[in-house]
Amino acid sequence: MKARKFLKTLPMKFYLLLLAVVLFSFFSNDFGLVDIQKTAVILAAGIDKTESGFSLTAQIAVPKGSDRSQGGTSSVDIQSEGETVSDCVSNIFSETGWVPKLVFINLIVIGEDAAKEDVVSYLNYFLRNEYMNDSCHLAVCEGTAHDLLSSKSATDDTSALAIQKLFSTAAEKSGKVMPNTLKDFAIGYYGVSKSSYLPYVRAKNQTGSTHGDAENTSGGGSGGGSGGSQGSSGSQTEQEKIYLAEETALFSEGKLVAVLPPEQTLAFSLLNGNVVSGTFNVKEKSGEAVTLTVIENGGGVKIDMKGAPRVKMKIDLTVRLCCRGTTAPIEDISTDDVKPELLDSAKEVLTGYVQALWQTGKESGCDLFHLQRDVYRSSLKKYKEWKDYLLDAAQPEIEASVRSLR
Amino acid sequence: MTKISSRQLYFFLACIAPVGKLVIMPSRLATYSGNDLLLPVLFNYLIETGMVFVVLLLAKQGKSFFSLLKEHIGKVGAAIVVLLFSAFLFYAAFLPLFEQKVFVQGVFYDTIPSLVAFAPFFPLAAYLCSKPLSSYGRTWDILGPVAIAGLAGILVLSVSEADFGALLPVGASGAKGIFGGTAHSLCWFFDSAFLLFLLGKIDYQKGMAWKGALFYGLGGLAAILYIAVFYGIFQETSINQLFAFAKTSKFFSGITVLGRVDFLFIYALAFVMIFYCTLPLQAGIDGILQVFGKKKYLPTILAVALNGILVLLMVFFDYRFGQIMHFVSEKVFWLFPVFTVLAPLLLLLLRRRKDESA
Amino acid sequence: MTITGKLEKDVSTLKKLLSAEDILTFDFTSDSGQAFTVVFADPITDKELLGEQVVRPLLSYDGKPTAEEVGKKLTSPERREEKDFQKLSEEVLAGNPVLFFEGMDEAIIVGTKKVFVRAVAEPSTDVAVKGPREGFIEDVKINTSLVRRRLKSKDLKIEFLNVGKRSNTFVAVCYLDGISVKKTVEEVKARLSEIDIDYIADSSYLTHFLASRPYSLLKQIGTTEKPDIFCAKIAEGRVGLLVDGSPIALTAPYLLVEDFQSSEDYFVPPYRATFTRILRILSLFVAIYLPAFYISAQLFKLQLFPVKLLLTIAGAIRDIPFSPSLEMLLVLFVLEVLNEASIRMPKYVGMALSVVGALVLGETAVSAGFVSTPAIIIIAFSGIGLYAVPNLIEVTSVLRLVMLLVAGSVGTYGILLVTAFVLLYLVTTENFGTPVLAPFSPLIRRDLRDSLIKYNLGSLDMRPKTLQSPNKRRLKQKGKQKETQND
Repeated sequence: MKARKFLKTLPMKFYLLLLAVVLFSFFSNDFGLVDIQKTAVILAAGIDKTESGFSLTAQIAVPKGSDRSQGGTSSVDIQSEGETVSDCVSNIFSETGWVPKLVFINLIVIGEDAAKEDVVSYLNYFLRNEYMNDSCHLAVCEGTAHDLLSSKSATDDTSALAIQKLFSTAAEKSGKVMPNTLKDFAIGYYGVSKSSYLPYVRAKNQTGSTHGDAENTSGGGSGGGSGGSQGSSGSQTEQEKIYLAEETALFSEGKLVAVLPPEQTLAFSLLNGNVVSGTFNVKEKSGEAVTLTVIENGGGVKIDMKGAPRVKMKIDLTVRLCCRGTTAPIEDISTDDVKPELLDSAKEVLTGYVQALWQTGKESGCDLFHLQRDVYRSSLKKYKEWKDYLLDAAQPEIEASVRSLR
Repeated sequence: MTKISSRQLYFFLACIAPVGKLVIMPSRLATYSGNDLLLPVLFNYLIETGMVFVVLLLAKQGKSFFSLLKEHIGKVGAAIVVLLFSAFLFYAAFLPLFEQKVFVQGVFYDTIPSLVAFAPFFPLAAYLCSKPLSSYGRTWDILGPVAIAGLAGILVLSVSEADFGALLPVGASGAKGIFGGTAHSLCWFFDSAFLLFLLGKIDYQKGMAWKGALFYGLGGLAAILYIAVFYGIFQETSINQLFAFAKTSKFFSGITVLGRVDFLFIYALAFVMIFYCTLPLQAGIDGILQVFGKKKYLPTILAVALNGILVLLMVFFDYRFGQIMHFVSEKVFWLFPVFTVLAPLLLLLLRRRKDESA
Repeated sequence: MTITGKLEKDVSTLKKLLSAEDILTFDFTSDSGQAFTVVFADPITDKELLGEQVVRPLLSYDGKPTAEEVGKKLTSPERREEKDFQKLSEEVLAGNPVLFFEGMDEAIIVGTKKVFVRAVAEPSTDVAVKGPREGFIEDVKINTSLVRRRLKSKDLKIEFLNVGKRSNTFVAVCYLDGISVKKTVEEVKARLSEIDIDYIADSSYLTHFLASRPYSLLKQIGTTEKPDIFCAKIAEGRVGLLVDGSPIALTAPYLLVEDFQSSEDYFVPPYRATFTRILRILSLFVAIYLPAFYISAQLFKLQLFPVKLLLTIAGAIRDIPFSPSLEMLLVLFVLEVLNEASIRMPKYVGMALSVVGALVLGETAVSAGFVSTPAIIIIAFSGIGLYAVPNLIEVTSVLRLVMLLVAGSVGTYGILLVTAFVLLYLVTTENFGTPVLAPFSPLIRRDLRDSLIKYNLGSLDMRPKTLQSPNKRRLKQKGKQKETQND
């Protein structure tokens, strides 16, 4: 009888116990959880090579409190050193008390020296990490990543956010920049081509800047330095920077092997066929510069393995006249038609760009167009036959067609 | 509670059964078979579709698994076989459960939480397991559309990022890769063994066997399509991408503006998975009840005991998911075809023989 | 005990049964010398009517001392004969006087009950902009008249039962014969007759006895204050209950989807009705889940916030002394207190309370740094959302709290687990053989036409299959040759 009564009231006892457990955990509320207050929201990470290993610069967003009148995003830069990237991340935690969260990283910048080594030797930390956002942008920079991230942007409170603007879809469509993500870089690296590319970022002094008070500096003053490292000083005399990413770094087997100049980056973009509203300059017979705007862009790179490998590189553009470098009569301004001689000139210019692009890729050993991958996908036999000298043996066939909008 | 209707069964076969195969299996298949990963899925689905057809043919008689066996091999023999099947289902359920645990730890939290975060699953699982198996039918009416919405949402957000050319060339991994992948992914295909325990609980309709097989096949096609998208997105790095369906949709361009709206769909599928993971446990308990009879508190006691053991196992193997997966999918994978393929076939043959002798 | 025919003895027997001081007797004699006695309950008997319809006609009585003959003399339309003292005492207590006279073998019960009723008005909890505005009141007779006025059918059956040992409350069981499921009607009556309770204060008392899971968190019996909804439900095949003393009518079987429907949905175009129904369910989901997801995102999964929003939230909560979960619980507590107080407060204080709640508590708490603005926004939105489905508020407010506690403990996964539990609970709940979650589970495609989606009236030609009415068709389509057998 007692046992039956016990069993009958068991569910109620169980629910009460469950409620007690839930209440206890609710009020104690700590299963190793890291809430918003203890979190370092890392917006960007910069990696540099040091003598003993690596240096990681984490640009951490700092909440502005209830005063939202200033707008923008404040941040501090924390630099940390270690034998591996993981070491550096752990050091950030131990030295600041903030738990670094990688989910919000939208930009990883690799210093020039670090890029000359196999980048996956340190990027593997991010690839392994289940909580890492692998759609984050990846870039190489001139000098050190620390200098770039701790520089004072002329366009945003936080340098990382200013740099990220360069990698927007709109920027990509201009053909001036070839952004890449961690995931796509890894696919290129681990794929049969073992090649990839990243935008190459430079910081340039901004002249004629009108603001620059200390309050608005990135970091709002300082970063808790670690072991001799330091954050941005917040110096009032620091020159504001603007950032350029018109160049593209080429990688083969994870190492930086070449840097494409802006015109080759444009050619690369045009071959990918994703340029809309991008511009490029051609010269008139008189030597005056004329800017053409791309309205439609078709393009592609195909490899033909019948006989000796031939690489067919095709750019198909519809353009309109955007600007002349000289004064123009009103009749000329009222039309955006491009004259045939200018179109021929454009073809010539583009063919030159593509030729130079091919040459850069070939000389650096970077399979920029993933030709090996294309051969692998189409014929395993041909791939095995050609894989070691495909780039050297392939002959480019460049076809550029440019037509006016009207 | 009424019997499981044909519609509810089709919802399970077409929408719910594929979800459990979209967590870790795609990345494991990429490890074994590389870009040929669709072939092992196809082979396993073809076999399993056949087995679903066979089991649903058996459902025509309206008898439970235990009763069917009892007719052929006697009560003792039937009890042994049913208990063996129950044990098999407990074994088979362990990997999906562990998958669910690491999935929860990986997808529902920003940093690795302690095991306690997953612990509330077990009281719920105990509650679910104490309910009669037929009560799942009505749940499938809700879960079916939820699974469709979840998978469709993720596919829509993901498909534009996929490069389907990455699936070429067919056969690159060779026979070893393809058949190795087939063998090592067997542990995700035991739906027909689970269906055996639904025998006698299904409201059989004419043509249910072939329709059921068709719906299971359609679910398989959806799974194959998703795995193709998955490999198209991650290509050579697919090996590293655990929790497939939580990974592919974040590359959608609108995410940057709206935030992670794809989590709505991910959570929808995770919701379906909660029920999917407990199905084999509940079926196993149902098997024991078929043998020993439905005593008043026995389902609750069994459900609590089983989940208690599972908690202990989870604590013991907490960080050893890799070893567990290696053991289940690479060492003792042969157990799955024995129970999911051979047993239903034997039962069908025995039934045929009896029909002929009659 | 039955009547003996001896006036004095019979009156004293009844008086013994009804020994209260407000039970009075009135003796009078006719011109022919026939003695009469009326026993009545003083406060609830209309004495003027009693004099007019009973005493005055009998003063000139000179007929035989039989109930039939005396009855013919009375001018009251409501009268019946009764022998049993138990029943007579019940009638006296209900306000109907009992007439005795010497030599008769039956007493006469006269319907001169004094009725205290308020006017039929628009119910405050079930307001519709379009459509009828009448609401039930506390008198069961008037309520049944409101129903009868809408359903002028010979098939409308209204059966009265007495429930409550002491209160003897009238319960009217209303159904349409041939449309309601007989089994359900019988089951309702059986469950009502099994009730052994002293007092029925309101119809809500009955829901406990009618529910198959009396301790359920979720509703199991439908409620409405509007006769039009009540009649529509009866016409669909449900059984309705009107309880004397309660303006809230009950209907069974209950489907969860009923509470997402409003009477107005049937008076506006179907696309508008569909939109508002979807809006209601979305607001309910938002109301229950938003505070929970907000907390679990802050504690366990920051990724649920876009980065800019995250930084805004982080800035807002930077100086708050409580943990995010405790802060949210606190704000929710304040909301519930304000809500409870504003319902009970006299109306003239209500305005002041709104000012105190909105301005003093809200604004000052934020500026003092006790709570953050996002938390107040979230709870305010949740509070409004909950009222999009007012009939479910008791359930949903508890669910919101449960979700919040679980979210603060184990995060989003906990929310999913509780949702799974609620789902399984809902799909396994049946009342009078009807699944509460129908037509979604089990999925009944035809009934989906009037669920979250609302088809036009022409498409709703069949009664809900879920209710298993023996008469399936409710609308004959013009030009349709084939009619079902049930037409």
